Amino acid sequence: MAKTVKNVVIGAGPGGYVAAIRLAQLGESVLVIDKEPSLGGTCLNWGCIPSKALIHAANTYETMTGDAEEMGITATGVSVDLAKLMAWKDGVVTKLTGGIAGLFKHHKIEHIQGAASFVDKHTLSIAKPDDSTETVTFENAIIATGSSIINLPHLKVDGEVLIDSDAAINLKEVPKHLVLVGGGVIGLELGVFYAKLGAQVTVVEMQPQLLPGMDTDVVNALARSLKKRKNMTVHLNSKVASVDVNNGTATVTVETPKGEETLSADKVLVAIGRKPNTSGLSLEKAGLKADDKGFVATDDQLRTGVPHIFAIGDVTQPPMLAHKASKEGLVAAAVIAGQPERLDVRAMPAAVFTDPEVATVGLTEAQAKEKGYEVTVGQFPFAASGRALTMNESVGFTKIMTDAKTDQLLGVHMVGPHVAELLGEVTLAMEMGATAEDLALTVHMHPTLSETVMEAAEAVHGLAIHSASKPPRKAAKKSAQNLAKV
Amino acid sequence: MTLEFKLPDIGEGVHEGEIVQWLVTEGDVVKEDQPLVEIMTDKVTAEIPSPASGTIAELRGAAGEVIEVGTVIVVIEQSGSGAQSSEKPAEKTASANGKPNTEAKACTAVLNKPAPQSAPVASSGGKVLAAPATRKLARTMGIDLSVVTGSGPRGRITQDDVRSFNTDGGSVTVPAMASVASVSIPNDSRKPFKGIRRKIAEHLSLSKQKAPHFAYVDEVDVTDLVAIRKQLKPIAEAQGTKLTYLPFVMRAVSIALNEFPVLNSTLDEAAGELVYKGAHNLGVAVDTDNGLVVPVVPKVQGQSIFALAHAVKATSEKARKGSLTPADMTGGTFTLTSIGSVGGLFGVPIINYPEVAILGINKISTRPMVVDGAIVARDVMYLSLSCDHRVVDGADAARFVNRVKALLEAPAQLLV
Repeated sequence: MAKTVKNVVIGAGPGGYVAAIRLAQLGESVLVIDKEPSLGGTCLNWGCIPSKALIHAANTYETMTGDAEEMGITATGVSVDLAKLMAWKDGVVTKLTGGIAGLFKHHKIEHIQGAASFVDKHTLSIAKPDDSTETVTFENAIIATGSSIINLPHLKVDGEVLIDSDAAINLKEVPKHLVLVGGGVIGLELGVFYAKLGAQVTVVEMQPQLLPGMDTDVVNALARSLKKRKNMTVHLNSKVASVDVNNGTATVTVETPKGEETLSADKVLVAIGRKPNTSGLSLEKAGLKADDKGFVATDDQLRTGVPHIFAIGDVTQPPMLAHKASKEGLVAAAVIAGQPERLDVRAMPAAVFTDPEVATVGLTEAQAKEKGYEVTVGQFPFAASGRALTMNESVGFTKIMTDAKTDQLLGVHMVGPHVAELLGEVTLAMEMGATAEDLALTVHMHPTLSETVMEAAEAVHGLAIHSASKPPRKAAKKSAQNLAKV
Repeated sequence: MTLEFKLPDIGEGVHEGEIVQWLVTEGDVVKEDQPLVEIMTDKVTAEIPSPASGTIAELRGAAGEVIEVGTVIVVIEQSGSGAQSSEKPAEKTASANGKPNTEAKACTAVLNKPAPQSAPVASSGGKVLAAPATRKLARTMGIDLSVVTGSGPRGRITQDDVRSFNTDGGSVTVPAMASVASVSIPNDSRKPFKGIRRKIAEHLSLSKQKAPHFAYVDEVDVTDLVAIRKQLKPIAEAQGTKLTYLPFVMRAVSIALNEFPVLNSTLDEAAGELVYKGAHNLGVAVDTDNGLVVPVVPKVQGQSIFALAHAVKATSEKARKGSLTPADMTGGTFTLTSIGSVGGLFGVPIINYPEVAILGINKISTRPMVVDGAIVARDVMYLSLSCDHRVVDGADAARFVNRVKALLEAPAQLLV
């Protein structure tokens, strides 16, 4: 006898669990199916959360062994117990995933562990870990199955020498030489982490810049910082042609613009991207079809082609971001509960937790120009921020781009200390349709890093107080005049 | 492979529909679910989505043509692998009137009227300048922000702009009048008379031809009703409902219909019988952008004022959003029309045929009345009742209105 539920959510990641809780809050009953025993999906178990715990620890270690000395603090005998660090990180993860379990209990959300696949438009089959199967019929379903790591056929991950990011957050010891295949977000965050713990790190990226797709100015600033690390090397426009593993050592052949290079490494981390998890769902049985890349198309209510089946998060379309999934989950839940809700996001923030951090929202400069905007840029360096200097941080800047005609924000890109934390203000500003003048006129607490947002906004009009640098990329005079008219 | 797409069954009892306009042309490449054509039935206007992706090979029928359900209207040429069975469209559109709990919600996606196409307020990215909470308010109220005029700097739309847009009945703010000298007299223009407007015209003509109308008007002292409604309004608001006078009148009408069931009847000419309807299904005329629609609040007997207020709110919101389903508009037995919200002394309404009576609710205004020999200011409202004289006589109408009047003048009776 099939189990019957009103609503089912497939996947308990930041899309699925948020959708489930919101459904419950709106008085809807909901069943959540996830193939893992632990809730929270990739984000909590193998992604955002564990990597940030590790990165924080590495920052602490680097401060103790480096920066602190400059401030007169000498620490001796500082060492890293990687096993203990991993255990602490696992503790953080357990606390958070347990927290979701607690919230599910509070909201009376049922959770079944198993892999779900469609039988028809209103039926799912769940393959459970004990090899039994259970059938569930539903009225509405949300596909929130997330994404998984892409593997390269010629670089087969063995979990020992050739590893993926899931393994990289669980290494038992710091590699001597780590080669990163892919200079994207995931690879760079883990690369900087191991570099801080002492590993020699070589990054191989096929594109002409790290973090492909991000604003060139901030990426260049990050690249300069990475270059200063003695134990980090970056190869752009380059390709890992082959990896030969012998007795636990990899011989890596890299094709660089300067010619072929052979590296010897004890770990090779393949981090070239992620793909949507839709292949195991038997979508066709529900009358659905994924596109060539595995994504499921939705409308702005997150409905798929079958109106009572929704899709959210990594399975819908890039960017693959936890907070994008959560937002889509909230909208889908509201729609299921009968509200006239629609996805209406104007600013999708994103951050990279390297050192320095990168944070970005809105259009890149290249995109803005492509769209035909007359762009004005205001930039302010952290080297001129009192708060940054008191933290012994002086790398990076805040860059604000506006539409010269309306002064409205088009994009904000930051590289520097804790910039991910500064994104909230500018994301809200963009959602509100704020102008650079709005940011400039808002009093910012002194001394804080957020003052750089205000100063960069002033710089758009050529009026930054604490910067002797060049006027904005449009004539300062003209901007100042425009300001009076706005 | 070629897919012949037949006009699907749009809703209960609908056998044909009129092509309002094609949304694609021959040769267009369409995606699955992309709207193909706007079809109007005597109940709703619906966009019919494409059953599959492909190229439009042929459109059968022109705007204004009436097509029977099951007739091929579109031929779609599909590229090999994307071919799908023609079973799909029927299921898709079935959701327009499908199961009440789940698929009914899906109908908004299918039946929504297209968003008005007008130039958005200037803003970077071509998006309307409004804060997230304002945008959500507009979604909740079913308002397309691109037609709202913002009062803030650079045309920013505030929450107040959205709310007042709604109470203005969706009128777009007109720019200040130019001086007389510069006024140019426009030429006559012609506009196709079709869609819902034509259906309304046909329906009203039929009513006037079939039913010999007579009207009966009386005035009602609603001073106490005004007081009671004022008292209950905040309580209703706390429950998320705006309490108007309509639920009180509905309750009074339902009580009176119990005593004068002939006003809740219909004439079955073929059978030569008068059919007394059991349920009081009250039609409520709602003015929308697309014209007058009359959703039905079913089985109002014994329903409380608040329950009626909730029901009215739900149906009129659906009407304004254009998301009424055929089921929402059928089965009416007596209709109420609130003329008073716009103004006037009273109006003489036309019967919503084949019903036999319609009650006009007119404006409440403060007027001098003689009470116990003294002239005092009282809140007064006219009730105007139109009846089908074949069925209802003047005396019946007068007694019915007297009863409704008595109930509204001593409104405590309506609360028990």
